[in-house]
Amino acid sequence: MLLNFHMLGWWRWALGAVCALVAAFLLLPILFIIALSFGDSRWLIFPPPGWTLKWYEELFSDPRWLDAAFTSFKVAAVVAVLSVILGFLASMALVRGTFRGRAFLRGFFLMPMVMPVVVLAIALYATFLWLGIAGTFVGFVLAHLVIALPFAIIAISGALEGFDKSIEDAAILCGASPWEARLRVTLPSIKHGLFSAAIFSFLISWDEVVLAIFMASPRLQTLPIKVWGTLRQDLSPVIAAASTLLIALTVALMVLAAFTRKGKKQ
Amino acid sequence: MTTPFLHINGIRKTFGDVVATDHVELKIAEGEFMTFLGPSGSGKSTTLYILAGFQEPTAGDILLRGKTLLKTPSHKRNIGMVFQRYTLFPHLSVGENVAFPLRVRRTPADEVQRRVKRALELARLQGFEDRMPANMSGGQQQRVALARALVYDPPVLLMDEPLSALDKKLREEIQHEIRRIHQETGVTILYVTHDQEEALRLSDRIAVFNKGRIEQVGTGPQLYNSPASHFVADFVGDSAFLTAEFTRASGGTADLRFADGTEVRGVPLHGADPKGRAELMLRPERIRLVPQPGAGPSLPVTIADITFLGNVTSILARTSWGEEVGIRLPFGHPMASGLAPGAQTQIEWDAASAHAFAARAH
Ligand SMILES: Nc1ncnc2c1ncn2[C@@H]1O[C@H](COP(=O)(O)OP(=O)(O)OP(=O)(O)O)[C@@H](O)[C@H]1O
Ligand SMILES: [Mg+2]
Repeated sequence: MLLNFHMLGWWRWALGAVCALVAAFLLLPILFIIALSFGDSRWLIFPPPGWTLKWYEELFSDPRWLDAAFTSFKVAAVVAVLSVILGFLASMALVRGTFRGRAFLRGFFLMPMVMPVVVLAIALYATFLWLGIAGTFVGFVLAHLVIALPFAIIAISGALEGFDKSIEDAAILCGASPWEARLRVTLPSIKHGLFSAAIFSFLISWDEVVLAIFMASPRLQTLPIKVWGTLRQDLSPVIAAASTLLIALTVALMVLAAFTRKGKKQ
Repeated sequence: MTTPFLHINGIRKTFGDVVATDHVELKIAEGEFMTFLGPSGSGKSTTLYILAGFQEPTAGDILLRGKTLLKTPSHKRNIGMVFQRYTLFPHLSVGENVAFPLRVRRTPADEVQRRVKRALELARLQGFEDRMPANMSGGQQQRVALARALVYDPPVLLMDEPLSALDKKLREEIQHEIRRIHQETGVTILYVTHDQEEALRLSDRIAVFNKGRIEQVGTGPQLYNSPASHFVADFVGDSAFLTAEFTRASGGTADLRFADGTEVRGVPLHGADPKGRAELMLRPERIRLVPQPGAGPSLPVTIADITFLGNVTSILARTSWGEEVGIRLPFGHPMASGLAPGAQTQIEWDAASAHAFAARAH
């Protein structure tokens, strides 16, 4: 190894301190928000003078917040399912195909990862207006699918590359039709890839703001949009409670993803 | 003429400019163990894949009991196959792997259970039902693959170098298992290998592949004792080739003259009537060392090297014009006693044990 940690002498204390500072810089705002969501000050005083659950009560009794959370969840779930299905089909073509222009097609699929999101948002908004699906559930799903799909394709084609095609051939000679072989043998063998594709697609949609700003209508909002909108009107601790819920689901899914990756290695 | 059980009829397969197989013609009897033997890239796997339906031939046909297989998709051909690589389904237990072909055929549950049990017994895998493939050795995995390929009683079993990833001892052990399974089930087997010892040990007949063509088909002893071409002679068993000139060639025998003027007569000749340069093939264990020329064909040589290899002694002799001949004698044979490198002597052989070929164009 180029840099041996144990041979750094007292430098390693300095290094440790820098790491701790960076971690604090990243984590403190999140912990701050979580703390505020349980504080009983209307004016978001820190440290909170007392503790309460009333912001959560308010959150859960307000149908507008519930609607937004439910919309977010539905959009993210549909995006996750669709991006796994499309990601699998695209990966089959990209990994197994022998046609010309395969590298180009791969680049094309992954392009939304490097495109400025605002540009993407404006282009999609214009197109959706023209198609008449701006501000609809379908519009939300399609927009989020565009940015989730590259991640799904990366996860699934990675898993597919590690899967020996001879195993699928063996299933076919055993009497399974090509699609039956893919469903009964290939899919279960790359399930860790499908699973991480689903989780990441869900998360990408779940906390996405830029595209959602363009897609949202007064009747249809996702949770991040509702947080953002409410924030501009008044600074209520309910926002902190909603943010905490967003974070909670994200963390839960990340933990799940970490576990599936660990399961795969065993 | 009766229709052959399996007829590989003039198969040709090209990939762009590459000719993978060319006019492969083979008739295989029911229950036969047929091995494709040949060097890397000679078209063995391609022939097998065409049988399996993974590739379509450019020309030719595959007939099973007189009916073409080419119109049937792979999954309906009912053919068994064991691959070179490990192909067990990683998410299924051994029992479920073997049950898979029956499940896709919608076989009733009690029959699945009965047949899986029988197949596992056949492969000596009782008690492994619940193991996952990842927790098994390579040899065990290939035995499961064998059980899985046999559980639905296929008429033909294809095996593409199934043991090439295993070490020598394990390979020999499973070769015995395969022979036993062949005898117990009577299934027709097409087996691919580039290991001549494996081919000789397992097969009823061997088809020797070279550059996409079959050079010769025959039993092991046939290939060894009367090779049809230089290539077969070289590939099956050890042999020495001495260059000479044809002085006569007709009626299946030839007379040759070596560079030192020695002449040999009546050597079995293979191939179309040759002119000019010839090659004489000698098997190392068919050569005798004698002090004086006797009745049989012989040639003066100088001993170059002597190696003791346990039960045999390997002797390297050199002709006066510098070509080398290997000789193998059983340990303690009187001909080997008193021999030392540098000694002048004669090699002698029976006219019928040598073979003459037209020298290959280089
Ligand atoms: N899919 C393919 N595309 C192009 N060329 C191929 C393809 N498959 C086989 N070939 C070529 O066809 C020839 C025969 O290959 P094949 O795999 O049948 O040889 P083999 O006898 O099985 O050799 P090995 O012992 O290495 O497995 C080779 O020259 C190979 O490069
Ligand atoms: Mg091969």
